[in-house]
Amino acid sequence: MSGNECDFVVIGAGPGGYAAAFRAADLGRSVTLIDPRPTLGGVCLNEGCIPSKALLHAAEAYRSAGELDEWGINFGKPKLDLATMRTKKNTIVSNLTGGLKQLAKKRKVSVLVGSATFKDANHLSVDSTDGQQTIRFKTVVIATGSRPVVLSGWPEDDPRIMDSTGALALTEIPKRLAIVGGGIIGLEMATVYSAFGSDVTIIEMAEQIAAGADIKCAKLLHKAMENHGCTVHCNTRVERVETTAKTISLTCSGAFENTLEVDAVIQAVGRRPNGDLLKAENAGLQVHAQGVIKVDGQCKTSAANVFAVGDVTGAPMLAHRATHQGKIAAEVSSGHSAFFDTDIIPAVAYTDPEMAWAGTLPHQAKAQNIDHQISEFPWAASGRNLTSGAKPGLTRLVWHRPSKRLIGASIIGAHAGELLAELVLAIEMGATIDDLALTIHAHPTLSETTAFAAELAAGTCTDF
Amino acid sequence: MALKGISAATPSIRALARKHGIDVDELALELEQGFVSESDVLLKAKGGSPVSPSSGYWDVDHGQFGPGEAVPTTRFAQLAAANLTASQQHIPAVTHHDKVGMDAVESFRKTLADEGAKRGIKVTALVLHVMALTKTLRKFPTFNASLMPGGKELWLKHYYDIGIAVDTPHGLMVPVLRGTNRKGIWDIANEVSKLAKRAQNRKIKPEEMGGASTSISNLGGIGGHAFSPIVNPPEVAILGLSRASYEPVWNGTKFEPRLMCPISLSYDHRAINGAEAARFCAHYASLLSDPRRLLL
Repeated sequence: MSGNECDFVVIGAGPGGYAAAFRAADLGRSVTLIDPRPTLGGVCLNEGCIPSKALLHAAEAYRSAGELDEWGINFGKPKLDLATMRTKKNTIVSNLTGGLKQLAKKRKVSVLVGSATFKDANHLSVDSTDGQQTIRFKTVVIATGSRPVVLSGWPEDDPRIMDSTGALALTEIPKRLAIVGGGIIGLEMATVYSAFGSDVTIIEMAEQIAAGADIKCAKLLHKAMENHGCTVHCNTRVERVETTAKTISLTCSGAFENTLEVDAVIQAVGRRPNGDLLKAENAGLQVHAQGVIKVDGQCKTSAANVFAVGDVTGAPMLAHRATHQGKIAAEVSSGHSAFFDTDIIPAVAYTDPEMAWAGTLPHQAKAQNIDHQISEFPWAASGRNLTSGAKPGLTRLVWHRPSKRLIGASIIGAHAGELLAELVLAIEMGATIDDLALTIHAHPTLSETTAFAAELAAGTCTDF
Repeated sequence: MALKGISAATPSIRALARKHGIDVDELALELEQGFVSESDVLLKAKGGSPVSPSSGYWDVDHGQFGPGEAVPTTRFAQLAAANLTASQQHIPAVTHHDKVGMDAVESFRKTLADEGAKRGIKVTALVLHVMALTKTLRKFPTFNASLMPGGKELWLKHYYDIGIAVDTPHGLMVPVLRGTNRKGIWDIANEVSKLAKRAQNRKIKPEEMGGASTSISNLGGIGGHAFSPIVNPPEVAILGLSRASYEPVWNGTKFEPRLMCPISLSYDHRAINGAEAARFCAHYASLLSDPRRLLL
């Protein structure tokens, strides 16, 4: 397309956006990818999933180094060099974003650094370093993601009060750290900072940490967080925040009625879709409460030729959902038959131990009146787990009693996120609990716990 | 069935079913199965096998009426049969008949004879038909289209690929001539003859079939003055060509002999209405009655 005529425009270069852009290019579309960041990858690569996993790896190494005494290994007191750690993390991020740049170049995707808003149903206004320009598009995919929710009534511009982005910058290890919000992001930050020596207090409004996760697994994680030295207050909310030059005071109510004195706070109370920043109404699009742009199973919005993918389309705000949607938007708008045809979206908390789940969990099966059974295998009886640190672990399977088909799974334990993949596939393929029990799992592996749980359901387990 | 978290098919089979506009949960209910397989979906998509052994109409003891023998049908014929049956079952088709004056095309073809001989390419009337059809599709985009599953949208194709039905010893084949809007008369003539030859020798690759804008079924070399071609789904129209012959045509003052080619346009009435079809044919005829108009 010549000049400012664009065939296929993607706003936002996160996992949903670049997937849409690259897939569309592979389908022969002429693609323009717009993002305000100078690097591709969005929040996920630049200040989310990837840098947090790098810090979690470092935290695990640091923590394990101190846990090897009983194996006869003593490294002495490990030393932390935050500057080197930041460099390492940033190198990983730039490797990945650089890789994306290559992939974009290979596909002749033209990348525009700037912020886009809708002028009307066929035009975008883009503010970039080269000034303002108007783009006429044939198809547009909104993939502008989400931003951390900022708690109202809190002091602004106090560097000691951070969101997840600030926390990942790892400027220092505060002595006393409060984390408001015990969801996945809050728990991962607690895992990092408690490993590096912060005295962490998690404040969660709901009655359990990791809302939405399996209740039993979440309880095990709660205990593990406490064993790492974290204090966890559920059913608690922050009523008032006062700051002095030396401390931040959080006045709490609920299960914990007290004032907490800390040196820094991380706000991790969720993310808000960015649908409100696009002037989407100019394109005739309705932006729903909390900035959500609603889509159907083909990622179509209410406006013709406007698609939306990822966090901006609402929960669950997960990169792998966004990627899947991105490809669907590219395919549907290019005439292919594609559909987001599943409820099975895995969730992983990269805590210590990890916790991962997918499908219908016991509390959901109960609430929905699904005739189900639960079958679980505690990792205390897993040889592989005992020989590799004996961290707490549990594999729980939920199956539909009449058909014996697996409908949900939750795992807590080392590598839970990796182990879950087998169960996601099993649910998608319609595997029964007998299929799992009759599939040979290598010994000794952690994946055996899946087979053992299934065998328990089938009544054929000899390891428990 | 249709229980949250329990789907009636694997992801790839669900995608296949979507492609055919089939709801797997409903199909599972219909089949009284907990799980739907690939063959369940394909069978449903084709509306059942055309010569299904369970169909009573064909379950006849022919021997009681006299001697005969069963000979196998080819795989091509079986595949074509499934498509043709699906077309008749699912498409409310109408055939519009018209006639096209071919005198100007014939004299133009004569002027190309020498150059054609040098190039080793014969410009048949079919080549001009392909060009006229391509040009007419540009003016009538809803003929270069497919209905989407569910029937709420029409997929307009931004390319011009013409399927040519070829009669071969092993059955009917419809190889596709790609990008005819970008090709000139010699290229099209060359490709038409090569495609036909390769079809006769069964050398057409799977990717050379399917995805056409619309198709031509040409019986001009054999005979007849009209027929009702069957639309090749998911296309919305097919153009049948019969044998051209000299007819007296009233020019306003007298009858004059004109070479007239009967055309039969079958179309999916869900996507195209009768007046549009008549206009389509009239435009088509105007292009061929004066082939210079193909340049416009």
